Amino acid sequence: MGAEAEFRGMPLELILARNLISIISIAAFLTDADGDVIFYNDGAAQILGQRFEETGRLTRDQWDAIGPVTDAGEPMREVHLPLTTALRENRPAHDRCNIRGDHGDVVCVETSALPLIGPEGFAGAIVVFWPSRDGPG
Amino acid sequence: MRAEFWGVRGSIPVADRAMARHGGNTACVQVELEDHVSVVLDAGSGIRALGQRMAGGPAPIHILLTHLHLDHINGLLFFAPLFDPGAEVTVWGPPSLRGPLRRRLARYLSAPLSPVEIRDLPAKVRFRVAPSEPFRVGGARVQCRLVNHRGPTLGYRITEGDSVLCYLPDHEPALGQPLHSGPAEWISGLGLARDADLLIHDGQYTEDEYRLTRGWGHSALGDAVDFAARAGSRRLHLFHHDPSHDDAALDLMRIEATERWIEAGGDRASLALAAEGTSVGL
Repeated sequence: MGAEAEFRGMPLELILARNLISIISIAAFLTDADGDVIFYNDGAAQILGQRFEETGRLTRDQWDAIGPVTDAGEPMREVHLPLTTALRENRPAHDRCNIRGDHGDVVCVETSALPLIGPEGFAGAIVVFWPSRDGPG
Repeated sequence: MRAEFWGVRGSIPVADRAMARHGGNTACVQVELEDHVSVVLDAGSGIRALGQRMAGGPAPIHILLTHLHLDHINGLLFFAPLFDPGAEVTVWGPPSLRGPLRRRLARYLSAPLSPVEIRDLPAKVRFRVAPSEPFRVGGARVQCRLVNHRGPTLGYRITEGDSVLCYLPDHEPALGQPLHSGPAEWISGLGLARDADLLIHDGQYTEDEYRLTRGWGHSALGDAVDFAARAGSRRLHLFHHDPSHDDAALDLMRIEATERWIEAGGDRASLALAAEGTSVGL
């Protein structure tokens, strides 16, 4: 990490958000302002099948490979996740969709994205998700 | 660069004789730069006496507020230069979603809390939100970041030549983070304190007290030491002494902190509990 990056560190909003989602049970992940996944918790790891310590930071391209996907598991590039709304429009959003879970299985999840906007502007987003009882929206 | 301590207490000023050696005024540290521009870190009750010494001085004054909790601003009303029509004072403070800095401070400097309205201060006073990019105060470079404390709270890093001072008076970096092993970019304030010649850091609580005050935005002694060691700070002055800790209690805390500092590779002489009326040259 460069000296400037180390000096700046993570925005406080993301530090506090990571502290929170690291100890709650609902699956959650955290993105930076660019949409890279910079942390996800054990609840998310159970659904995804890999712990954050194994994957590390996930870029948008890497996250796109996880979802949304069709019932057959094919990527649905024209569909926007609530995270996209949070990143582009800085407002909360909710939807239901399929993602690729543990062992590549297709899992239908409800997902809510909350933009983190502090005194210094947009810092990133928290996304929570849980298995849906219904099919994709 | 020289740092002089005018107030080292947190929460509320105290006047007990048993606390006189470390002092009873709340947070205020004067930073003297080589070009004689005055930098004042926080405006707790300690700023009153500082203002008396500064009164009538020609140099512009910069007050860098970390946050607007009362113990860090309660001295503003009694700061003599603010009542000098010839004085130029810039008050820097944290960003907030609750409006301009001047308006936020006016909640204190206005009726019914104050007999003086902020708009009536005789000095030439400017209120500015400290930018996230580095800015200059006199010959010094000032950097600030939001840090882990309740409400928008800044830490400051002041660099003049080769000397670096870092001021983190209200700070709880260990909340949810293992200071020894957590990734550096996730530790609040670490970049500000990196390799500082002098780190002035929150050390309000004993380990026992911290079990009851976790999440209040202040540090246990051990966490403050661990943070300083992780940051590579050369000298550590523990600050924001609890109003219930008399001089004897602070002496015991110093002994405990020093032992931990030495274990972390620090030098005995480079750790102190900040005391009003003392100064440190960088």
